[in-house]
Amino acid sequence: MTMRLIFLFICLLSSSMLLAQEKYIYLSLDVQKPASNTAWIEDITAAAGKLGYRGFIRPNFSAGLDIGWANFDQYEPTSTKQNPTGAITSDYFHYIYSYSGVVSGQYYFKEEDEDRLFPYAGLGLGAMTNEYVLYYNIYEDTERSWGFLARPEIGVLYRFTNRGSVGIMAAIHYDYSTNKSEKFNYNNFSALGFQIGLMAMTF
Amino acid sequence: MNMRKTTYFVVIILAGLGWACQTEPDSAELIDQMVVSTNYDTEADFASYSTYAIPTDTIGFISNNSNDTIITYPESSYPRDVINTIKANMDTRGYSKVDRSQNPDLGINVMVVNDYNVFQEIVYPNYYGYPGSYYSGYYGYGSYYYYPYVNTYAYNTGVLIIEIVDLKNRTPDNKVKVVWDAYLGDVYSTIDRIAQTQEGIDQAFVQSPYIGK
Repeated sequence: MTMRLIFLFICLLSSSMLLAQEKYIYLSLDVQKPASNTAWIEDITAAAGKLGYRGFIRPNFSAGLDIGWANFDQYEPTSTKQNPTGAITSDYFHYIYSYSGVVSGQYYFKEEDEDRLFPYAGLGLGAMTNEYVLYYNIYEDTERSWGFLARPEIGVLYRFTNRGSVGIMAAIHYDYSTNKSEKFNYNNFSALGFQIGLMAMTF
Repeated sequence: MNMRKTTYFVVIILAGLGWACQTEPDSAELIDQMVVSTNYDTEADFASYSTYAIPTDTIGFISNNSNDTIITYPESSYPRDVINTIKANMDTRGYSKVDRSQNPDLGINVMVVNDYNVFQEIVYPNYYGYPGSYYSGYYGYGSYYYYPYVNTYAYNTGVLIIEIVDLKNRTPDNKVKVVWDAYLGDVYSTIDRIAQTQEGIDQAFVQSPYIGK
């Protein structure tokens, strides 16, 4: 029953935003820093991006779809790991290939026909899949997992000219997903991100 | 924002997104040193052995796609370099090399297994697995010794395996026990095969401080 309601909600939301006369799409770089299990990867990555579509269903409220991708990596210098009957020595390359999709809603602190600057706060809910990979020499050890994703976000849209249809967008977001990896010791996966990109708008 | 700045901005965004495609580690950085894995029989008393035997310039070769069963010097300098490095480490640990006919305490097997994935197990006839298990005989010492074999192959990979076999404590039915082994990989994808193998062998002994008189 719950799943039916969620599905119905997503259908209604999707049709509303697709029929919206005023909308924008964006493509952005997404600089991210992992916030969970930083013993495995803590390095900031700029090898990440987001693509989104958002339609206005109220003068100061939009809803849309965002898809995102990110490659996290970190090098572990050569070390010897002991086990009860021996040891293994290698250097290691830790990687996470992350893909996400959310349905999102944004509240704008100015209405769309005011000014050229539109600060907003939003929330995205969806799913994330991560592939955790440990490369060493020609060998690799992998685990893939799926999880529920929640993404609160604050950002700003800036139109280049008063009646122009192109602008930039910037946002800070926090991703929390229920992705687990027993092999690589993740109980969940979270990351803090800053995105900046281009948008094309019809309002 | 003028047109030039907009163009720069677009180029930076697109270049960044291109870079964000799924990447892998640089292959040269991956293979510049071998993975060295060692296992030992925790019940073995390595100080109780004094002598060892090892082939002079031949190592075993196990593959599904070749009829060769050995790699021999001078067809390849690899066996001699490998064996000499093992000998140097064994000598440093206080053991003495003797001929097989002189009843050595330890026997050393060296082999390259081709098309072998470390996540698979190789098959040892009459052998029950890791150090501490028995198999039927060591070359020249009764019954039979079969080199292990692998069933599957998918990649051109190779692992150098070094085994130390306890010949001193043979069972009444002439079975012997592997007390230590080392796996070094990959021996095909290397930048300098001999140098990396020698470093790997040295590392195998470094991480096995219990080997010694």
